[in-house]
Amino acid sequence: MNRRIWSLAVITFKEGIRDRTLYGIGLFALMIMGLSLVVTGFFLRELHKVTVDINISAITFGGLLIIFSLSVNLMSKDLDKRTIYSVLSKPFSRAQYLIGKFIGLVLLSLTALCMLTLVSTLTIWTVKSQYPVYFKEFVWLSVFQAVFAEFLMLMVLNAVVIFFSTVTTSSFLTLLFTISTYIIGQTVEEVVQFIQSQAQEIQLTTAVKTIIDMTQYIVPNLSVYDLKIRAAHGLSITSSYLLSITGYSLIYSTVLILLASIIFSRRELT
Amino acid sequence: MSLVATLLLYGAAWQHLQHERHVFLQENYMDYTLPFRFTGPAAMEFKGIVSDFLFLKVITFLGERIGKQEEFSDQHFKYLGESVNTITDLDPYFWDAYLFADMIFTWDLKEYEAANELLLRARQYRTNDYRVPYYLGFNYFFFLKDNINGSKYLMEASKLPGSPYYLASLAARLSVYALEHRIGIIFLKEMIRDTENEQIKNEFMLRIKALEIMDQLEQKVREYKKTYRKLPSSLAGLVTAGLIDKIPNDPYGGQFVLLKNGRVYTTSKMLRQK
Repeated sequence: MNRRIWSLAVITFKEGIRDRTLYGIGLFALMIMGLSLVVTGFFLRELHKVTVDINISAITFGGLLIIFSLSVNLMSKDLDKRTIYSVLSKPFSRAQYLIGKFIGLVLLSLTALCMLTLVSTLTIWTVKSQYPVYFKEFVWLSVFQAVFAEFLMLMVLNAVVIFFSTVTTSSFLTLLFTISTYIIGQTVEEVVQFIQSQAQEIQLTTAVKTIIDMTQYIVPNLSVYDLKIRAAHGLSITSSYLLSITGYSLIYSTVLILLASIIFSRRELT
Repeated sequence: MSLVATLLLYGAAWQHLQHERHVFLQENYMDYTLPFRFTGPAAMEFKGIVSDFLFLKVITFLGERIGKQEEFSDQHFKYLGESVNTITDLDPYFWDAYLFADMIFTWDLKEYEAANELLLRARQYRTNDYRVPYYLGFNYFFFLKDNINGSKYLMEASKLPGSPYYLASLAARLSVYALEHRIGIIFLKEMIRDTENEQIKNEFMLRIKALEIMDQLEQKVREYKKTYRKLPSSLAGLVTAGLIDKIPNDPYGGQFVLLKNGRVYTTSKMLRQK
């Protein structure tokens, strides 16, 4: 890999790690995980499901908060504080700058996810040793597969942050667009399925249908990364499915970074 | 000084709010669950944890009523039906939700068809779980007195991993012989092993007690028939013949009776008498 890109990625990563928001988010996720130790006892027998649900949801939530706060800030900081000029005066292109930033953000998400997974592994292990009878259906591999899928989703969202920060002029707008993309990405599959199943009952105009069709191709389908329910019930995921979502994330992120590079290289920085 | 006064004021306000909230919840408990059409997209990728939360709400709401021994009404049936539909739409593998609803539908609400419908839905997802056809078989056998379907599902359960060893023979016996109280006892003992809820456990134990008495009485009736080559006219005949000391009491508060076919049943129909 280009050394310049790598050094930029490392700088971004270090800057993110130093941010105190990260500790707040980590603490919050830990609290949710700790909650699973208490709440699980309220349920009847599928304690493994409840424990895994709470823990993977906490990991996901922590990962999302990092994107919405840290990633957005790290991207817009250079533009807002005008440090972009000194960065871009160095001998590398704007595209390289974006790629470096993207890798740094992905590294940050990966590290945070690894830390949260480590803690949730301990939490699940504690509950498991407390109620071994109710963990017969539990499979560690499914949990790690689900976390891996969440990482892929965070990678796509990091690319979304990069893309919107080159399009918009304020960090608030980047945040707003990223959250919107997340919500649409999570619901678009269900909306399309619902419309298809109720095609006769719901009368939609051609324009609305076209918009929904277009949205489904443009916005990333984020529900493909949701393997939490399967993990909670110890159901395995095929390697071809995992391969498919990995390919989808890599290609989608590459397209977004490319588009962002084109836009960013034409942008007048004032 | 002012801090102490503020804290005292806070304590009083908190207590007052607790009281008001208690009254409010008693009057306005949200005994409805939004359908999956709304909760599904709204839960986004957190469907699992939302299903847990909704299930916890249902067991708290209905559990409190079970604890107070309140009678269930049509409204409870509607609430449980809607909630379980939403919960199992969010997580179609959630066995606790299916089983809890099955228990309430059958034992408390006598809605056997609804219970079986739910279990059939669970069967689509939990294809490797012997408990789903097991409970279906139990419902058909025990509540609906349908031995053919009961045996069909038990046979299905016996072929799935982890099923108790006696299921296959039980299924075979069910399909060949008429209803026997002993089979019910075996069934219930297995269900006690798999039940955490103390209320339901006690209910099962009471039923086992009644079934055991009826089973013993039927044995005595068979002995009587062997000796006298005819059935006694009533259970009192067993006392006269010296086979039993007295007609035992029905733990449900009814009276045991001898049917014309030699079977023993109870006037309580195994429901608690008021």
